[in-house]
Amino acid sequence: MDRRWPRLILPIWFAAALIAAGLYLTVFQPARADQPHQETEAYCLSCHGNPDLSMTLPSGEVLPLFIDAEHLKQSVHSPLGIECQACHTEIKTYPHPPIEYQTRRELSRAYYLSCEKCHSTIYEKAQDSMHAAVAAENPSAPVCTDCHGSHYIQSPNQPRSLVSTTCSNCHGEVYEKYKESIHGSALMEEDNPDVPVCTDCHGVHNIQDPRTEQFRIDSPELCAGCHADAELMSKYDLPADVYDLYKLSWHGVDVSVYKARWPTIWHDSAVCTDCHGIHDIFQTDDPRSSVNPENLLATCQECHPGVGPNWTDAWTGHHEISLERSPLLYYIDVFYSSLVPVVLWGAGIYVFLQIVHLIVERSRRSLR
Amino acid sequence: MSEQPMQTKTDSPPVQTVRVFKRFSLGQRWEHVLLMLSFTVLLLTGLPQRYRDTGWSQQILATPDMVYLVQTIHRIAAVVLILEVIYHLGAGIYQMARRKLSADIFITWQDVRDAGQMVAYLLFLRKDKPTFGKYNFEQKITYWFIFVGIGIMVVTGLILWFPETITWVLPGSVVPASKVAHSTEAIVAAIFIVLWHFFHVHLERLNLSIFTGKMNEEDMKTYHAREYDRLTGEKAGQDGGKQP
Repeated sequence: MDRRWPRLILPIWFAAALIAAGLYLTVFQPARADQPHQETEAYCLSCHGNPDLSMTLPSGEVLPLFIDAEHLKQSVHSPLGIECQACHTEIKTYPHPPIEYQTRRELSRAYYLSCEKCHSTIYEKAQDSMHAAVAAENPSAPVCTDCHGSHYIQSPNQPRSLVSTTCSNCHGEVYEKYKESIHGSALMEEDNPDVPVCTDCHGVHNIQDPRTEQFRIDSPELCAGCHADAELMSKYDLPADVYDLYKLSWHGVDVSVYKARWPTIWHDSAVCTDCHGIHDIFQTDDPRSSVNPENLLATCQECHPGVGPNWTDAWTGHHEISLERSPLLYYIDVFYSSLVPVVLWGAGIYVFLQIVHLIVERSRRSLR
Repeated sequence: MSEQPMQTKTDSPPVQTVRVFKRFSLGQRWEHVLLMLSFTVLLLTGLPQRYRDTGWSQQILATPDMVYLVQTIHRIAAVVLILEVIYHLGAGIYQMARRKLSADIFITWQDVRDAGQMVAYLLFLRKDKPTFGKYNFEQKITYWFIFVGIGIMVVTGLILWFPETITWVLPGSVVPASKVAHSTEAIVAAIFIVLWHFFHVHLERLNLSIFTGKMNEEDMKTYHAREYDRLTGEKAGQDGGKQP
């Protein structure tokens, strides 16, 4: 008998371990947060479906804890099976562990870190942004959920105008200008698919400070992205050579040199936005446009103080040299394009004949 | 060594008097030096500005300070040239009015005939080279081409220097027009000088009279026979135009 008991100890332990593992897997499985497919939503909503559920944070702010089930079903995550615990990783049990955040803002700034788990590339881009850079000093600097929402996340650009209205939550003053502009009004009123929304110029997640030397020097190319696209411009009957002609202009050559050599040195030569405006761009025939003939002199005077009314004609505009638009320039151009070949070919041929004659004369003399 | 008689030159060469003719005054010679220097500096500092969008220009204009420096040198040289132009016109008009300067530099019908004959000669349609006065038509072309060219460069250059002021008086379109004229005229003038002027004063013959102020009899007879005749009362000869 003494010899049989020890032989049974191993299988008993083995069976006990199996039962324990089975119990763990069946009872505690919902606690495994790294599984995207969970069944937590219905379970959580059994409490959080109560519209009156809320709590008071140490700051005195009331934190609503109600989740609208219908609304949640329409979000991008829930139908994919990405449920509560995908983000609320620390809540594994009921009663929940105590909330240690003082304010609602503090809570938001902690919870958005969950986004990184799945959206790591975008999260990293956002870390390089202007918003992330100021976040240390400014708690209002937006985190993922400020733009995208938290529970009821929808596609951020459906409709496209949603992008700009989202930005307007903080950048209201700029938005008010933009909304009136040729770009903004086409977006808001016609849901135009071609006009830029905020993110088309400023970037999406890695939004940079638009006041830097680098942004300024790159900005003409930004505009050219659409305004040098012949197909796109033809839709709106706009010329697509404005950027190429700008590059030949006084301002444009200056800017291209700075771009190539000194992108980090501030320069004052005019870029597109200096004349046309930034968020308040209007069609040139709109009386509100800074480049409308009525306003053009005042716009020039911002950089060229004290210039007279003739000054605006010194700018040939985004136009090729033509008799109708710039007769003087046209005639000077014609004069030189005819004079140069006449003078240089004339002088060249004459000198050539002289050389030939000298050679012939010398040969004759030596052969005489 | 002392035994040997010293070799002495028994037949000294026949004395040859070389007559030289005054061609340019000291003032004129200095004017040419000033013109030459300012023209060169203006060209060297102007080219990088004209071709700012090219790599070699950006090698020179490597910093915004360099751009400023090159512009400043260009403008200093321009002021020198403008002063020289003012002196040239003032002195020329004054001296001509007092009959101290001949009007030889002005183009006459004779120059048109000379040019026609010269082209015929170069095309072997005519045996004799035409004879010329103090300034042949080639030299007059050089002078007047540069005269008009500098006029254009000074006017357009001042417009480009003070565009904001000048458009109070002149229409705005003079500014881009000046830019085209200034940069094109400069290139044409530079190529013309190298091609035309350098050929005539360095290759066809070495003519340094603008520096020395003088020209010897040989060259006078060969290249400026009519002037030689006028000064000496002699005939440079029917073959005056031919190479000796």
